[in-house]
Amino acid sequence: MTLLVALVATTLFIADSMKAEYKQDIQTAPDIVVSAQKALRYKTIDETQAARFLEIDGVSNAIPRVWGEYYFAKGNVRFKIVGLDEFENSTNSTLNRLRDRLSYDTNMMLLSPKVKAILNKNYYKDYFNFILQDGTLLRVNISQKSIAIPSIRDEYLIVMPKELARKIFAYADNEATDIAVSVKNSEEIAFSARKIAALLGNAKISIKDDLIVEYEQMYNYRSGFFLTIFIITFFTFFVIIYDRLSGLNSEQKREIGILKAIGWRVEDVLKTKLYEGLIISLFSYSLGIILAMVYTFIFNGGILKNIFLSSSRLLEHVPLQFHLDYATLALLFLISVPLYICATIIPSWIAATVDADEVMR
Amino acid sequence: MKLITLLLISLQLFAYPQISESIKEKQLYPMGKKIHTKKCPSLTKDSYQTYDALLLDIEQRSICGTLSKKHSEALALYLWDKEKAHSTHYKKITVTKDEKCQVCGMYLHYYPTWVSQINYPNAESYKFDGIKDMMKFYFNNEEGIVDILVQDYYTLETINAREAYYVTGSDVLGPMGNELIAFKDAKSAKTFLLEHNGKHLYRFDALSEKMVRALD
Repeated sequence: MTLLVALVATTLFIADSMKAEYKQDIQTAPDIVVSAQKALRYKTIDETQAARFLEIDGVSNAIPRVWGEYYFAKGNVRFKIVGLDEFENSTNSTLNRLRDRLSYDTNMMLLSPKVKAILNKNYYKDYFNFILQDGTLLRVNISQKSIAIPSIRDEYLIVMPKELARKIFAYADNEATDIAVSVKNSEEIAFSARKIAALLGNAKISIKDDLIVEYEQMYNYRSGFFLTIFIITFFTFFVIIYDRLSGLNSEQKREIGILKAIGWRVEDVLKTKLYEGLIISLFSYSLGIILAMVYTFIFNGGILKNIFLSSSRLLEHVPLQFHLDYATLALLFLISVPLYICATIIPSWIAATVDADEVMR
Repeated sequence: MKLITLLLISLQLFAYPQISESIKEKQLYPMGKKIHTKKCPSLTKDSYQTYDALLLDIEQRSICGTLSKKHSEALALYLWDKEKAHSTHYKKITVTKDEKCQVCGMYLHYYPTWVSQINYPNAESYKFDGIKDMMKFYFNNEEGIVDILVQDYYTLETINAREAYYVTGSDVLGPMGNELIAFKDAKSAKTFLLEHNGKHLYRFDALSEKMVRALD
């Protein structure tokens, strides 16, 4: 009973934690992200397009962003590089803080702890040589400070001045990865997106609200992963209940018979059985929840987490944030405790109301 | 001939650029302000006769540190136009969790972009979940009003209601249904009217109780 609750609880906790973290991440995303396409495939965008977006009344800001990935062969890992302009505001407050910690005069970048570690291992301590598109090397100094633990998706993060990032990605002067558009009035976001679409034709426009909906759909209780686990758990529950309902075994019947013979009334038997059931189920429930919490947050969800994170083992080490969702706890309570109690009381009641003699025979 | 052309061209090099107001307001001025605050807060345009001279100094003599071309221009524009008429900046209208609309009693914190406010002397003020409700209140309580504040639809800035432009009959509905939508200038009001199928454009003085009630 405990293990069952623990199992279901773990899955739910992991999902909730990731959902909460993703929701937090999404809040920092720009209202609209515009990127160019060629043959429906990603292409860099011309940053002068941002000026056209600014002409739209609803748009309050349009910032060309430069970011991307760099493959570090020796460490077999991909770094995420984000270029920042000293005087531009990102919608992400963490990035704004990092922007202020960068030094723009000296050729320098900020690394996350994992990147620092892996570069260190490969004997790059004070600087690193990026291999550019044309084969030449670009030496960039490594800052003494480092970035605090980033979220699940940004473990291998490097932050540097936009111009350096441009050089590494071999971007031309007016090339950008995408354009982050802010719209002050949320009522006007969808409309502004349509106007941008009308301006650009074949650009890809993604709106923050859509991302939230997409993710909710993936994590809600109807998705395939949950369904599988739920079905297994419920099936087991029902097996237990069925076992109970199909009558008590002879030993328990005797027990009830004896009690009745001594003079216990039906209500007393039921009350005892009820207390018994309550104690067992509440205890299992609590123990199950605690086990699940320990498993999810201290041991980081182990194997079960991989159901949701399809990426490689690289992601195992990022701690899941502690997030308690009362709705989940309530759900777990409702599906375990009342069912178990019913399963124990009903057969006891049947047994208790039958004549004592019959039972003992 | 060639020399003259060259001379004319070089004179144009730093002439005040042709940049639209939107880009200046939304991007260049804020950026220039940031640079000014962070790198050279004491710099002003006072000692410069022309925009060109200011930009030249910023770009070539690095009076504000080394700045890229884009940043230099932003700073120069900000400094040069900084003294442009800065209309009174009203504080942003904020609501707490328990504030309600004075007319209909709805909780305001669910609709922060729609809140409007009327201020009376002695810090007495009332908030509303839309301009329609506010006008209903206004027509019965006109005396002694200090300010009437509404939020511009596109930028959510707090503006003086008496100087604003209003569009009715559009497809954008407020918490009370059909609403008057406020704009800080005629241009954005007209854009909105066209894009969102608005029916009428009014100034504050043209608003009447009958017309406001007709919106219900």
